[in-house]
Amino acid sequence: MIEVRDVSRLYRRGVDLVHALEHVTLRIPEGRFVALMGPSGSGKSTLLNLLAGLDRPDTGEVIVAGQPLAGLDEDALAAWRARHVGLVFQFYNLIPVLSAIENVELPLLLTDLPRAERRRRAEIALRAVSLASRLDHRPQQLSGGEQQRVAIARAIVTDPDLLVADEPTGDLDAKSAVEVLTLLRELNRAFEKTVVMVTHDPRAERFVDAVIRLDKGVLVNGAGAP
Amino acid sequence: MTWPRLVVRNLFRRPWRTGFTTLSITLSIFLVCAVLTLPSALDALLEHAASNVRINVHHKAGMTYWLPFAFVNKMRSIPGVVGINHYSWFGGIYDEPKNLFPNFAVDPETVADVWPEYRFSPGALAAFRATRNGALVGEQTMQKFGWRIGQEITLRGTIFPVDLTFKIVGIIYPRFGSAQILWFSRKYLEEAMEGRGSFGNVGMIWLRADRPEHVDAIMQRVDDLFRNSEAEVAAETEKSFFASFFSSFKGFIRVILIVGFLVVGAVVLIAANTSAMSVRERIPEIAVLKSLGFRRRPILLALMAESTLIALTGGLAGAGGAWVILGALRAAGKTGNMPFLGPLASFTMSPAVAAEGVAVAVTVGLLAGIVPAWNGARLNVVDALRRLF
Repeated sequence: MIEVRDVSRLYRRGVDLVHALEHVTLRIPEGRFVALMGPSGSGKSTLLNLLAGLDRPDTGEVIVAGQPLAGLDEDALAAWRARHVGLVFQFYNLIPVLSAIENVELPLLLTDLPRAERRRRAEIALRAVSLASRLDHRPQQLSGGEQQRVAIARAIVTDPDLLVADEPTGDLDAKSAVEVLTLLRELNRAFEKTVVMVTHDPRAERFVDAVIRLDKGVLVNGAGAP
Repeated sequence: MTWPRLVVRNLFRRPWRTGFTTLSITLSIFLVCAVLTLPSALDALLEHAASNVRINVHHKAGMTYWLPFAFVNKMRSIPGVVGINHYSWFGGIYDEPKNLFPNFAVDPETVADVWPEYRFSPGALAAFRATRNGALVGEQTMQKFGWRIGQEITLRGTIFPVDLTFKIVGIIYPRFGSAQILWFSRKYLEEAMEGRGSFGNVGMIWLRADRPEHVDAIMQRVDDLFRNSEAEVAAETEKSFFASFFSSFKGFIRVILIVGFLVVGAVVLIAANTSAMSVRERIPEIAVLKSLGFRRRPILLALMAESTLIALTGGLAGAGGAWVILGALRAAGKTGNMPFLGPLASFTMSPAVAAEGVAVAVTVGLLAGIVPAWNGARLNVVDALRRLF
């Protein structure tokens, strides 16, 4: 369960204060696949960053799987993210000097797992995204869709409770975008992962359980459980 | 995937840049090691070559002033003196002016009394005493000119108006450092000067004390003996004589040291700039690592490890290179075939200097990496990701 209680977030842009989020309250039950939609500047990514523990609200509270994030300092928050959150970005953000399997193994460096076990888990994650044949390929040797699937494998390799994806289809062609959305849906269904995805892609609505719409930092379609 | 592998992979992200940075550190550490070897080599030379019972007496005004030859006999009676000899700089050149080397008129009878630790070829001293125009020649000079025992050679006088022909009767083997000297009998020079104005002077006088604890008293006695005379003298131990001789190089060495460390400073700035560029280019990646849960400390350490590893590699290569090259120069110098090497051929790099070079390199790496790594580790992940998208 994700709970966002009366959260506001202000940014300073030059001399101006920008209200990225204003008094947002919402609940996302465990195991749901939710899309955050809205025009640019509506506060989608800000909300996603707060849910992922990347940012802190100015007011209000964010609670993920019973953990109030406000009580964690930066290092504790990083450790919490490593255990509980998987992140997928629009531009994949794989490390170019590492192979696909090394990229996927990267978050496991933060665990006490032995090397062989890290490798085994990374292989499983890559197999789950249908890239078992691309283990040793460098990112530049993979297509955009494949790179995004490697990024998804990296996000799930630690078996997190929450998967957050920021425009995961934003840089992909239509076919690859559908493949990625299908993959996220399958991960949500098969492993009961909670998935929160920021997207502009109207096709995403077919894949998600609910859409939360934001505009100018305010929730448009209510705060109830989707 | 391991942390060291991640660090190494990042180093090879831009192999040319890493290579050139490593090379710049290699060259600077090579320079540092060579520069640090200079004073220690001089100290070692003094430590090993100079005797603590041999006393040098020269004109108080400087070594280029002559002393009356009569002083030699006056000093002979000083209590504690067990050997006395003298040097008169002949300044002869062999064949052409560039072949100038130290050649002195000495007393063949007392060479062994004053320099008992010197080694000579068999029968050399007896032949030196018996041969009117005999010469003892340093091993290095023999090799340099390809001379052999029994050969006659002529040195053209530059100070004295005579050319002298010598018969080489033996070789002087150095106990330490290089021996380029040539000794010949003073009597031979006096004979040659007959009719051209007599030669009644010496350049410097060497005394050997029976015991080290008598040295101060002997020097005091020498100073007292010639105070207010026609030529006041300065007496000092061989060690202090060499030290003051080398002191003229000290200012030069100091300049070289300063230049060497300025080079190191410049390399720190270059390496720091490279490190900063490397971090700047990877801000999105560092942000992603942080978003995945990597904390500040491992990121800081990984980034520091990169610059330190580059510097360590450069340091090992630079110090190792200096070790090998200075060793090779020394070996080449011993053959006598490369006289242009000069004192460089006498220098031995100590393991301590190599360790200092590597330590300087590691310090360069740490200094160059700390600020960029600190900034990278403290990166605000949301700001960095916002820049990314």
